[in-house]
Amino acid sequence: MDSVNRFGPELILLAMAAVIILADIGWALAGTGAERMRRPALGALALTGTAASIIWSALLIAFDEQGEAFSGMIRVDDFALFFNFLFAGTAAIVILASIDFLRRNRFVAEYYALILASTAGMMLLASTIDLIAIFVALELTGISLYILVAFMKDGRSSEAGLKYLLLGAISSAVALYGMAYLFGITGSTSLDEIGLVVSEANGETRSALVLAMVFLIAGFGFKMAIVPFQMWVPDVYEGAPTPVTAFLSVGSKAAGFAVVMRIFLTALGDGSISSDWATVFAILAAISMSLGNITALVQGNIKRMLGYSSIAQAGTFLIGLAVVAAADPQLLLGTSAVLFFLGTYAFTNLGAFIAVIAISSKIGSDQIADYAGVAKRSPLLALGLTICLLSLTGIPPTAGFIAKVYVFNAAVQADLVWLAIVGVLNSVVAAYYYLRVVLNMYTAEPASEESIQPGYYLGLAMVVAVVGLLVIGIFPSPLLEASEAAARVFG
Amino acid sequence: MLSDWGHVGFLLLLALVFPVGGIASSWMLGLLKIRPQAPDPIKEDIFECGVETEGTAWVQFNFRYYYYALLFVIFDVEAVFLYPWAVSLDEASVTGFIAVVTFIVILTIGLAYAWRKKALEWL
Amino acid sequence: MLNQIPEGVVWAILFLPFGSFAVISLAALLGLTRTGSWEARFSGYLTMAAIAASFLLSLWALDSVLQEDGARIGYDAHEWVTVGSLRFDIGVTVDGLTAIMLIVVTSVSLLVQFYSQGYMRGDPGYNRYYAFMSLFTGSMLGLVLASNILQLFVFWELVGLCSYLLIGFWFYRDSARRAATKAFVVTRIGDLGFLSAILLIWTKTDQLDIGQIQHLAATGMIGSSVITWFALGLFAGAAGKSAQFPLHVWLPDAMEGPTPVSALIHAATMVVAGVYLVARFFPVFIVSEEAINAVVVVGAITAIMAASLAIVATDIKRVMAYSTISQLGYMMMALGVGAIGAAIFHLFTHAFFKALLFLGAGSVNHATGTFDMRKMGGLARFMPVTFLTTTVAGLALVGVFPLAGFWSKDEILIEAWAEKPLIFWTALAGVFLTAVYVGRMLFLTFGGEYKGGEASDHGAQANSRPAEPHESPWVMLLPLVVLATLATTVGFVNITGGMNDILEGWLPEETHELVAAGDFVLWISVVSVAVGLAGLGLAWAIYSRKAIRAEEVSAALEPVQVLLDRKYYLDDLYETVIVKGVIMRGAAAALHAWDRYVIDGVVNGLASLMRFSSEKYRLAQSGQAQLYGAAIFIGVIVIVASVLQDELLGIVGL
Repeated sequence: MDSVNRFGPELILLAMAAVIILADIGWALAGTGAERMRRPALGALALTGTAASIIWSALLIAFDEQGEAFSGMIRVDDFALFFNFLFAGTAAIVILASIDFLRRNRFVAEYYALILASTAGMMLLASTIDLIAIFVALELTGISLYILVAFMKDGRSSEAGLKYLLLGAISSAVALYGMAYLFGITGSTSLDEIGLVVSEANGETRSALVLAMVFLIAGFGFKMAIVPFQMWVPDVYEGAPTPVTAFLSVGSKAAGFAVVMRIFLTALGDGSISSDWATVFAILAAISMSLGNITALVQGNIKRMLGYSSIAQAGTFLIGLAVVAAADPQLLLGTSAVLFFLGTYAFTNLGAFIAVIAISSKIGSDQIADYAGVAKRSPLLALGLTICLLSLTGIPPTAGFIAKVYVFNAAVQADLVWLAIVGVLNSVVAAYYYLRVVLNMYTAEPASEESIQPGYYLGLAMVVAVVGLLVIGIFPSPLLEASEAAARVFG
Repeated sequence: MLSDWGHVGFLLLLALVFPVGGIASSWMLGLLKIRPQAPDPIKEDIFECGVETEGTAWVQFNFRYYYYALLFVIFDVEAVFLYPWAVSLDEASVTGFIAVVTFIVILTIGLAYAWRKKALEWL
Repeated sequence: MLNQIPEGVVWAILFLPFGSFAVISLAALLGLTRTGSWEARFSGYLTMAAIAASFLLSLWALDSVLQEDGARIGYDAHEWVTVGSLRFDIGVTVDGLTAIMLIVVTSVSLLVQFYSQGYMRGDPGYNRYYAFMSLFTGSMLGLVLASNILQLFVFWELVGLCSYLLIGFWFYRDSARRAATKAFVVTRIGDLGFLSAILLIWTKTDQLDIGQIQHLAATGMIGSSVITWFALGLFAGAAGKSAQFPLHVWLPDAMEGPTPVSALIHAATMVVAGVYLVARFFPVFIVSEEAINAVVVVGAITAIMAASLAIVATDIKRVMAYSTISQLGYMMMALGVGAIGAAIFHLFTHAFFKALLFLGAGSVNHATGTFDMRKMGGLARFMPVTFLTTTVAGLALVGVFPLAGFWSKDEILIEAWAEKPLIFWTALAGVFLTAVYVGRMLFLTFGGEYKGGEASDHGAQANSRPAEPHESPWVMLLPLVVLATLATTVGFVNITGGMNDILEGWLPEETHELVAAGDFVLWISVVSVAVGLAGLGLAWAIYSRKAIRAEEVSAALEPVQVLLDRKYYLDDLYETVIVKGVIMRGAAAALHAWDRYVIDGVVNGLASLMRFSSEKYRLAQSGQAQLYGAAIFIGVIVIVASVLQDELLGIVGL
C-alpha cells in the first residue's frame, strides 16, 4: 500500500482522466438536456484532479511519507515532490487558460484527459529511477502531447503535430539507444546501480559511456529544447493551440530537465564522465542562449518569438547543470539554481502565453505588429504581459531577476566566468526583443479602439501567474528553500 | 576494449562500402563505356510481385482500417498478458489479481470510449 | 533636538510613497477609477500626503545626523535571502550624505507634486501620473537609503524604469516613446558597467555592504586594479544615469515627458543618482588615481560641451536639459578634484533652482502652449511672477551673488584652484557659457514682444490656442515662489562650512586626508561673478538688442522669420559676435555629428550584425522535418566527436 500511497499524486491524475472520459460518455447517453453543463463540469473535474494531486503531494510531505515505491522503480523524494507541485500547478493554470479556448471544440473531455495524462507522465519522469520506467514515462508524456499539439485539426496544427511526432519519435529512439548503452555497460537498469558501476569506470569504458551520455543528452535535449535539438520548437509552438504551447514550453521543458538531472546526477554523477557532461552542457548552454536570442530578434510572430526565447531560457537553465561539477557545494548550488529558475520560469512563461491567448484570440493574429496599442485596449493585459516580459528579461523586482542572479552567481562560483559573461550579454540582446513587444503595445496606435476583455478564467490564470512571479521576486526565500531541499536529494 | 570497437567500425565500413561500391562501380563502368546504356521505359517501371501497377501509391485509405488494426493490437496484447497470468494464478495471488483487474478495467474504459465514439461501426 | 531616529521610521520614509503607489494602483486595478468612486484628485492628495510625511521624517533623520556630525547611523542588516553560503541582506543606513539627499528628494518632489495639481489637471492619465510619481520618488528614496550595493542596484533599476514610464507618459506621441526608449537603452549601457562592478567586488571581497566596501577600500585591503575596475564600472553606471559624456544623449530627448516630470528628473531624482553613486563610493574612487581622473576628465568635457550646446538650442526645455548636463558635469568635476562636500552642496542648491527653472518653463508652456523660445517673447508683462522667479533661478544658475548657485559654484572653483588649476580654468569657461545661455533664454522668453505661442496639446486646454498669455493658477505659482525663496537662501546654510562637515562626517578616517580643502579666496569669487555678468551682458547685446531691431523691421511677429532673418547675424554691428557664433555652431554641429554618426553608428552597427546573423539562421529553419531530424544526428556526431577527440585521434594514429 505504501507504493500506491506514494504513487498517489500521479494515480489521482490518471484516475481523473478516466473519470472525465467516462463522464463524457455518460453525457452523450444522458441526452441534450444536460449538454449545457458538460463543459463546465468536465473543466471542474480536471481542475479537481490537479488540486487533489497537489494536496496529495502536500500530505506526503506533511506525513513524511517520502520513499521508494514499486520495488525501486519510483523514488518519491523532495526532488520528485518539488516537480509534482510544479507540474500539477502548471497543468491547473493551463486548464484554466484552456476553458475559453475550448468553447468551440467538440473534444473537451479528450483534451482534459490528455493534459492530465501527460502531467502524470511528467511527474513520473521526475520520480522514476529505473531506465525502463523512465522510458515509459517519457512516452506517456510525449504521446499525449503529440495529440494535443495536433488538437485543432487544421492545417497548421496538424503539420505541427506530425512534425512533433516524427522528431519526438527520433529523439525517443536516440534516448532509448543511450539507455541501451548504459544497460550494456553496467548490466543494470536501476540508476543507483548504474551509478555505482560508473563511479568505478576506467578508461576502457569511457568511449561507450560518452556515447551513452550524448545519446541521452540528445534524446532529452529534444524535450528541454536546447540547441542543436531545438529545430522543432518554432514550428510546433506556432502551430499548436496556444494553451498547449504554454504547456509544452513550461511542463515539457521542466520534465526534460527533471529527468536529465535525475539520470545525470544519480547515474553519471561520479567519475570522469561527470566533468565530460558538465563541459558539454556549458557549451550547449552558451550556444542555446546565443542562438535562441539572436534568432528571436527578427521574429514577427509572438509565439515563434516566445519559442526562440524559451530556447534561450533553456540555455540559461543549462548553466546550472554545467555548474554541477563533482564537488558537493557546487552540486547543491547548480541543481538548486536550475530548480529555482524552473519554478520562476513556469509562472513567467505561463503568464506570457496566457496574455497571448487573451490578446490574440481577440485581435485574431499572432503578429507582434498587430499588438500595436494593446495597452489602450486592455491596460491590465498589457501590464501583465509587460511584467512577464520584464521577468524574462531579468529586471527587478520580478522573479526572473533573482533567478538570473542566482544562476550567474552559481556560474561565477564554479569558475565558469566566461559562461556568466555570455549569459549577461545575452540578457542585453534579449531585452531588445522583449522590450519591442512592450513598446509596440504601449506606444503604437491601435488598429481599433474596441476593448479587449479576457474571459473570467483566463483572467484568473493571468493573475495567478503575475502575482506569483512578483511574490517570488520580492520574497524568494520559500521557493529558494524548496529548491535547495529538492537539490539536497543529490547531495 | 577499444579493439572490440574496431570490429564494430569494420562492420560499419563494410556496410558503407557495399552499397556505395556498387553504385560507384556501376557509374565508373558507365563512364568507361563498358556498361551498355540502353534506357527503356519498362526498366523504370515499378516492380511489385509481377503485377502491373495501377495509379499512384498516394491513395486515401479508409481510416477505419487503422481503428480496427489498433483495437486488434490492443486486445491481442491483453490476451498475451492474460495467458501467463492465468497459468500462474496461484503464485500471483491477490496482488496479481488486483493488478490484472486494473489492467482490464483500463482497457474496458478504452473500449467503452471507442464504442461510444462509433469507432466500431463501419459507416 | 529629537531622539535619534529609530529604524522603523527610516523605513517609513521609503515605504510611504510606495504605499501611495500601491493604493492608487489597487484603486485602478479594482476599476474604481473608471467608475468614478475613486476620484482622480484623491490620487494627487494621497501622493502629496505621503511625500509630505516622508519629508517631515527626513527632517527628523537630518536632525539625528546633525547630532552625530554626519557620521553613519548604521542599522543592523536584515536577512533577505539565504541559500547555503549565499546571503543577501537588506537594510537602511542614514548618514550626512543620505540625510541631505533625503531632504532634496522629498522637498523637491513635494513641490513638484503640488505644482502638478495645476499642470496635469484634466489629463486622462492623472491617476497613472501620480502612481508613477509616487513610485519614482519612493525608488529614489530607496536608492539613497540602501545599505548594500545590490539593494541599491535594485532601486537604481526601478528609478530607470519609472523614468522610462514617465518620459513616455504621453505614449501616443511618436517622439515621446522614442525618447523613453532612448533613455532606457542608453542608461542600461551604463548599468552593465554597474552590474559588472557589483559582480567584481562581490567575487573579490565577498562583500555587498556599502560601509564594508568603503572601509576595505580606504584601508587598502582591496587590490588596486580591482579598485580601479570596480570604480570605473560604477562610474559607467553613474555616467549613464547622470548623462555624462558620451552617454548624455538621452537627456535632451527626455523632455518629452510632462514638464513636472522633467523637473523631478533633473533636480532631485534620476540624474543626480549618478552623482550620488560616485559620492557614496567616494572612498573607493579617491584611492584610485585612474578612476578619479576619469571622473574629472569626463565631468569637465561634459560641463563645457553641454553648455555650448545650450547656447544654440531653441527649445526652452532643451536649453535646460543641456544646462543640467553641464551642471552635473560640474558636480562630477568637483568629485574628481576630491571636493565631495562642494559637489553635494552644488547638487543641493542646483536641485532647487533647476526645479524652479523647469517649473517656470512649464508655467510658460501653460500660457503659450509651446516650448519654442522663438514663439515666445515679452512674457515678462503677462506673467510677472513666473518672470521674476525664473530670473532668480537663472541668476542662481549663473552664480550671481548672493543667490544659492554662487556659494556652491564658488566652492567648486576654490577647491579646483587648490587641487587642479587646469580644471579651474575649464570651470571658469563653463561659468561664462552658462551665463550666455541663461541670458539668451531669459531675453528670448521674457524680453521683446509676444510672438504668438502655439496650441496646447495636453490638459484641459488641449487644442485651444490662448489668444493672450496669462499667468498660471496659484497652485502652480506657489511652488515657484517657494522654490525662488529657497534658491535665494539655501546657499547660506553652508556659509560656515557646516554642511561640508556633515557631508564628510561619514567618510572613513583614511579618506578624510584625501578630501580637498581649499580656503576661501576672494579674487576667485570676484572673478567668477564678473565672468558671469560678462556672459549675461553678451547675451543681452546679442539677443535683446537684436530683438529690438527685429521689431523695427516689423518682421519679428513671424517667429519663423526670426530664424530665416540671419542677416541680423551678419550685420556689421555684431560682426565679431557672429564669428564667435559660427564657431560655436560649428562646435555644436561637430558634437551633434559625434552623437549621431559615431555613437548611433556603433549601436546600429551592432544591431545590424545581430540581425544579419539572425536572418541567416532563419534560412536553416525551413520547416522541413527531415532537416530537423538531420540536425539532431549531426548534433550527436559533433558532440561525440568533440568529447572523444583524443580517442578518435588515437584510433587514426595521431
